[in-house]
Amino acid sequence: MLAASAALPLLAVTGCKGVGALGTPPAPAADVGLLKAAIARERLMIARYEAVLGPARADGHAAILEPVLAEHRAHLAQLRSRLIVPAGAAAAAALPASPSATGPGQPAAPGKPVGPAEPVVPASPAAAIAFLRAAEQDASDALLTRLGVAPASLAQLLASISASEATHAAILAAGANAG
Amino acid sequence: MNASAARSPAAAGSGVAALQSALAAEHAAIYGYGVVGAHLAGAGQAAATSDWIAHQVARDDLESMLRSLGTQPQAAAAAYRLPGPVLTARDAVSLAIVIEDRVATAYLGLVAVSAPAVRHFGAVRLRAAALSAARWRGTTVAFPGLPASVLRPGPRARA
Repeated sequence: MLAASAALPLLAVTGCKGVGALGTPPAPAADVGLLKAAIARERLMIARYEAVLGPARADGHAAILEPVLAEHRAHLAQLRSRLIVPAGAAAAAALPASPSATGPGQPAAPGKPVGPAEPVVPASPAAAIAFLRAAEQDASDALLTRLGVAPASLAQLLASISASEATHAAILAAGANAG
Repeated sequence: MNASAARSPAAAGSGVAALQSALAAEHAAIYGYGVVGAHLAGAGQAAATSDWIAHQVARDDLESMLRSLGTQPQAAAAAYRLPGPVLTARDAVSLAIVIEDRVATAYLGLVAVSAPAVRHFGAVRLRAAALSAARWRGTTVAFPGLPASVLRPGPRARA
């Protein structure tokens, strides 16, 4: 059941029609594992930005960090939309932990829930920016090494996210130099 | 600057069609950066020159990849239709952004190819195009190269 549904979400991008271009269908387990790992890494990145933005919000870096954080939330939403799980059973595991403070009928604030452990980030704004920059570069590089086993449409999404994260690292470096 | 490379099912797995499309985008980029550089001065012109050279290197890489697959790389056109008139430095920067976005999308086609070397090359060049585009824009985008039409509607978290 998982095998059938996981093979469905193929992304049609310019110049890519027909299954011939998509190569050998991969094992669905690897597909789901890749997605879950990518989702976990995006969640961690979002939590890091939220942790840095907390104390540093007033010191002028928010103008750089907030748009980058919004892009990570967009990454997470796209990754989650591609995670096909059997109805019921595993669906709960794919969702972020709901904040218990959320009232009934009230949707959870997007991107707000973080994992059980708050990430540790440097206290000084300059060190925090450098930390985020290194984390973005590492995340971008790591995604590049994982493309080989992904089906075509997922590889395209991961490659695009990798490129986005590389630009985040660059813009954080430029912002740190300017500031 | 649109590429319409012929596709054959036999070539799809090795990515010949996607490689030709990326090559067509690079030919157009090299032409376009000539126009960009002509309308910029100082640091802007230096950046345009640097990107122009990078696209020439990428073109050469694509041509050798195609030749190694036994395929003749497609030649550049004599001229390319620009997306709009380029009269000012601001127009030139806008053109550079369009060039990099189109190149990025072309390289996403390579990422769809199953051959690992082709896929990796596509991803690396996509990243380079995204970095150039971000420098010209001064801002970043969430999904370099991916047309908005292929992004799935979902619980989009917007700040």
